[in-house]
Amino acid sequence: MGAPFDITFVFSFLPKLLGTLGTTLLIVACSLLTGIVVGFLVALPRLYKIPVLKTCAEIYISFFRGTPILIQLFLFYYGLPEIMKLVHVDLTRTPVLVFVILTYGLHTGAYMSEMIRASVMAVDKGQVEAAYATGMTGFQAFTRIVLPQALGIAVPVFSNLVIALLKDTSLAFTLGVMEMSGKAQTLGSLTQHFIETYIALALIYLVISFTIEKLLLVAEHHLLRHEKRNTPEKKLFKINKSWSYRRIIAELGPGKGGTGL
Amino acid sequence: MKLDPSFIWTALVQILSAIPTTLYITVVSVLIGFVIGVAVALIRLYRVPLLHPLAVGYVTFIRGTPMLTHLLLIYFGLPVLIDGLAVHFGWSFRSVSIPMIGFAYISFSITAGAYMSEVVRSGLLAVDRGQLEAAHSIGMTTPQALKRIVFPQALAASLPNLSNSVIGMLHGSTLAFTVSVVDINAKAQIVASTNWKFFEAYLAAALIFWALTFLIERVTSLIEKRINLYNRGGVA
Repeated sequence: MGAPFDITFVFSFLPKLLGTLGTTLLIVACSLLTGIVVGFLVALPRLYKIPVLKTCAEIYISFFRGTPILIQLFLFYYGLPEIMKLVHVDLTRTPVLVFVILTYGLHTGAYMSEMIRASVMAVDKGQVEAAYATGMTGFQAFTRIVLPQALGIAVPVFSNLVIALLKDTSLAFTLGVMEMSGKAQTLGSLTQHFIETYIALALIYLVISFTIEKLLLVAEHHLLRHEKRNTPEKKLFKINKSWSYRRIIAELGPGKGGTGL
Repeated sequence: MKLDPSFIWTALVQILSAIPTTLYITVVSVLIGFVIGVAVALIRLYRVPLLHPLAVGYVTFIRGTPMLTHLLLIYFGLPVLIDGLAVHFGWSFRSVSIPMIGFAYISFSITAGAYMSEVVRSGLLAVDRGQLEAAHSIGMTTPQALKRIVFPQALAASLPNLSNSVIGMLHGSTLAFTVSVVDINAKAQIVASTNWKFFEAYLAAALIFWALTFLIERVTSLIEKRINLYNRGGVA
């Protein structure tokens, strides 16, 4: 299968793949923004228990978490133009990238809303009551007391979501978007050096996800600097039970299940 | 192209035949992945020299790269490796005899292994070390204590993550179409392109996946209730 293995190709492919890194990061950034906005809009009806909207939000989350992202990509790419045709909007000339970003945005939005909900709920309700007692309004209590704490709690989940999103973008090639995986496939079939291309591709993904993880870890330490941290891994079979927000987060399960492809 | 709601049902019926393939891929990768995961988790917990950095590297690499690249690396890399070894040692076995689904099994198991190891590790860490010591104090050996005391509790603690992983692998199995395995996604593609009704076919596929995911979630919550019986709290 293909040409014989030659490690030098890995290095010559790296710069070529890096040329399309921009597209990958563009997809990640745009869908992340969409996802956060959608996530907030969806989390609010569930947090404040608004009757009809709450059910709609639950169905939305269940659908986007219950179906594979690949199917969602196809569904939006083929389905949206047809549905919009019914209301006489022509989407046939819309660039593919728009569909890709929209799908990833809505997909991430479902996970984001769970993350937001879980981290807001992890903040003790007594804190809000204390804030009211000192005369703060609801908005003040949220922005000054709940939000700063929720942010710190949300960071680890957020980091996982960003990395999952980054890896999910490797599927955009199925719709013909020239991001890194698409470029890798083209390079592979042009030169017949498939293994080398995919090693180079894997290396780039590894470096990016490693960087994202480290950056967000720094952010987490900064946001949680008022809390005492411990490292349960240091001791075998032991976890500190008093550190409960992680347990709550785990029970609500906002993280992206398993692989993130 | 005109929207044809009745075709969703037709497509649904046709796609149903591909469910076993998807389930096979999921079950095989989860089972093998779990075995790999337990091994890797124990290596990391007990800091086995030599193997420990290897295990850390494996988990980091797999979790840092997309599942698609694992699949393609295995698909293109494994035949070269096997054929090279076969020529070197004079085996009659050649990579051509590996069925396409074999590549999916191997690659997805490796992927699942890394994620499972994290699930198993966090599950084991959730069990208090004092429990192990208590078991030792009444004369159990370490394997007995692990089997009777630690593992059941660890399983209960890691069940939500486990179910998430299974769902993740179920969704990940849609990638198998890149190595020409006809799973639900590939079947939907075939149905879509032969009838030129893409939206309806993918909607049907989405509905099937949604139902499967829902089923897994229900079953897990039932098991969770059963397994956490001891944990009710209160008196008696």
